[in-house]
Amino acid sequence: MPPAQDSPQQPAPPGPQVPFRQLRQRPPLIASSLFLFLGLGLTACQPARPPGSLIVGQASRINSLDPIKASRVGVMQALAALGDPLYSIEADGRIEPRLATALPRLSGDGLRARIPLRQDVLFHDGSRFDADALVFSLQRFIKSGTLGFQLADRVEAVRAVGPYEVELSLKRPFAPLPRLLSAIFLTPVSPTAYKNYRDKPLNERFVGTGPYRLAYFSQQQQRLVPFERYWGRRPANGGLTLTTYSNSTSLLGGLRSGEIDLLLSSSLEIDHQLALHRSAQRGEFKEGVGPALDIGFLSLLTSQPPLDNPTLRQAIASSLDHELIQQRVSLGMRPSLRSLVPPSLPGADPEAWPAFNPERARSLYKRAGYCNGKRLSLPLTFLSDVPTDRLFALTWQSQLKRDLDDCVRLEVSGMESTTAYSQLDKQAFPMILINWMGDYPDAENYLSPMLGCTKPQGNRCLEGGSALSGSFWTAPGLDAQLQRSSELAGPERLALLQTIQRRAAEGVPYLPVWVVRPAAWARPQLEAPRFDGSGRVLLSQLRPIGPAASPAATSPAAPNPTKAGGQR
Amino acid sequence: MSRRRQLLSYAASRLALAPVMLWLIASLVFLLLRLAPGDPIDALLGPRAPEAVRAALRQQLGLDQPLAQQYVGFMGKLLQGDLGLSLSNQEPVSRIIAQSLPASLELGVVALSLAAVLGLAVGFSGIARPEGRLDLAGRLFGIGTYALPPFWAAMVLQLVFAVGLGWLPVGGRFPATIEPPSGSGFYLFDSLRAGNGAQFLGALRHLVLPACTLGLLLSGIFTNALRLNLRRALDSDYVEAARSRGLDERRVVLRHGLPNALLPVLTIAGITVASLIGGALLIEVTYSWPGVAHRLQEAIAQRDYPLVQGIVVVVAALVVLVTVAVDLLVAWLDPRVSF
Repeated sequence: MPPAQDSPQQPAPPGPQVPFRQLRQRPPLIASSLFLFLGLGLTACQPARPPGSLIVGQASRINSLDPIKASRVGVMQALAALGDPLYSIEADGRIEPRLATALPRLSGDGLRARIPLRQDVLFHDGSRFDADALVFSLQRFIKSGTLGFQLADRVEAVRAVGPYEVELSLKRPFAPLPRLLSAIFLTPVSPTAYKNYRDKPLNERFVGTGPYRLAYFSQQQQRLVPFERYWGRRPANGGLTLTTYSNSTSLLGGLRSGEIDLLLSSSLEIDHQLALHRSAQRGEFKEGVGPALDIGFLSLLTSQPPLDNPTLRQAIASSLDHELIQQRVSLGMRPSLRSLVPPSLPGADPEAWPAFNPERARSLYKRAGYCNGKRLSLPLTFLSDVPTDRLFALTWQSQLKRDLDDCVRLEVSGMESTTAYSQLDKQAFPMILINWMGDYPDAENYLSPMLGCTKPQGNRCLEGGSALSGSFWTAPGLDAQLQRSSELAGPERLALLQTIQRRAAEGVPYLPVWVVRPAAWARPQLEAPRFDGSGRVLLSQLRPIGPAASPAATSPAAPNPTKAGGQR
Repeated sequence: MSRRRQLLSYAASRLALAPVMLWLIASLVFLLLRLAPGDPIDALLGPRAPEAVRAALRQQLGLDQPLAQQYVGFMGKLLQGDLGLSLSNQEPVSRIIAQSLPASLELGVVALSLAAVLGLAVGFSGIARPEGRLDLAGRLFGIGTYALPPFWAAMVLQLVFAVGLGWLPVGGRFPATIEPPSGSGFYLFDSLRAGNGAQFLGALRHLVLPACTLGLLLSGIFTNALRLNLRRALDSDYVEAARSRGLDERRVVLRHGLPNALLPVLTIAGITVASLIGGALLIEVTYSWPGVAHRLQEAIAQRDYPLVQGIVVVVAALVVLVTVAVDLLVAWLDPRVSF
């Protein structure tokens, strides 16, 4: 740009400009005053909260509230507040009818199940819940549900046999049917509201039967208000706002600053969980712990050397110091696991897998041809986007170096979760640390996905759950035992489930590592959060205490919360 | 040819290249996504869904078709302005972008404005006494803010002002207790238009921390750019000529030095705007800001092909447009620029 044309003027005296001189003498005072003024102003601008309303923070964004799209923990938690399942699993493991009035009545051959339904239930749009509505919802889920296969694999047809009775025709007898029907993704939706959404999702609305109805939806925030015509117990609070924070630090900060009232532990980093646990012990927060249903385990590729050798796999099983991992990696927050079925579920065999025993491990390594000047180099893949998994890999590597350095050495490498899971069934990983949480709390939902095999060949599985889980292992008759276990009930079933786990422990296609307990932390002005048996916080029972208590919570008409456990 | 015609011809040639550039970007994204390991079906169903179910979903989503056929379908729809449906919830990609892009733009515009004001003020402040205390402080500020790791700086500010002092929200774009304004998706603008003070203050409180953090981190670029260019301009012959004519030093600086020094700053601002259109990922993640970068990151993790493609194409188009606009503005302002 060319210089501007100016007329000559008298030059100004050089040096600092006079008008600023006085201000420049007191910059700290001015800055401090501005800062304080700004802070007071911003604090004063905080919007007021509706009385009794609570803010719940969680990590996962909710892209859709349609049950046919539900698969993530955060969505399930929201659906549990907005909808009702047919059955619920209580904190003590009991199965209780919710929208059903009794447990399913099975036909003699076990292939037909009749479910009687409540007659006093309304959807949020005022339409009545009945057998036709349930048939509509279940058929819609089977046809379009992300997890529709869970029902479609077991149920041949659904029909109404009365205004308030439904019959499920099963493909084969299935004893854990009530547990499957406790899954919140099977919660009924209003046929009136969803009539144009039979085969596509309705993401931003939810019209179900639960204690809350949806008042506002965005992917970051959902506002739930008590449903005035709810058939069951009124919520103990004045409503909920579910809000999403994208990282663990923000969630922790939100609870500490009072921005959120309840924090759910899913996706919270382990050191943050520990910090909250310690704060809760000091009385700064209220802590609730749910049943552990999420398991972490190593999948061993049994179809290729060197891990096609069962002796070597048994050696590895005895090489893992569970206690050390629990203390150093999960900081005591994740109990050790030596079973494929979480110990909180019926049929678990808590000590099926061997405990850490370096002498036994050394002897097994020797028997497999290692230790005497020959060291096994064992690749271990962990999910690189999960900090705890990385720490596990490094800690176990060090532990093996300390205890069995002459026999085995771990070579650790990380891989992003989505990539790793897509490679599991391609025999890509000799050993990988992954996790699994059943879609409903039953032993069958842990054993079949890992041990099921539709095409066995000796001890090798060519197709089925075992191949999809990356182990490719089976044993003669194991799949038949799995099938049989889902048909049996009572002690006979529990015994068979334990037998199956013992067989798996001998073959060591997997090595259970830990189990993750869901936890929640509430501000001191709330009662301690409680969990149901499916691992979800009972949001409708969150009760403010003291002056912040809502009219609903303090009203004599409001019933007391149940004695549901889970409080630590 | 007159300069005006030259400028028009230059603008036409730059704009004519834009569709070619967008086609290349769209094709590259399409190809790279398919080459990358990971399967959207796994992300949707989990790894243990039965093969029949996986195959049915693959067919439903058109992922079973040959790559060439998928590409032709994608390009055909793109030409009609159809970005497809998200794999995760079948929502139109254009709608998802319309929800998240304003968040990034709002943050970017406010942060850039703060960065420009702060950066230019600091850069200019030391000019009266080169190598003086103020100049040294400005130089340190420029280098320091530029060198700060964004993630760390954002977390520290979050801890101090949100968790520690409780002045500002920890994250998010709007208070949980009130409903955001409807309209363009720019909350400040929408709430002002609606005349709703509570909404405006709510949106502002949530914007302050991320915008100040981003503004602070970007301000160093402006400080350094202005300092160096102004120093160079003030040493140039035409400034000497102005001084020799006896002009007031303030006038020399403001009317002769500064406008010339601001031209390169304008180019830098253009590049910064272009980079901010795609969102500031680390800031968005730290402050749970629901912007387009954050959405893109989630879409990549879920292997949501249509959403990733859509976001990249739209952001690329905006970047191309902004870049062309800045180039034209500089060419228009500076007669020395030839094209």
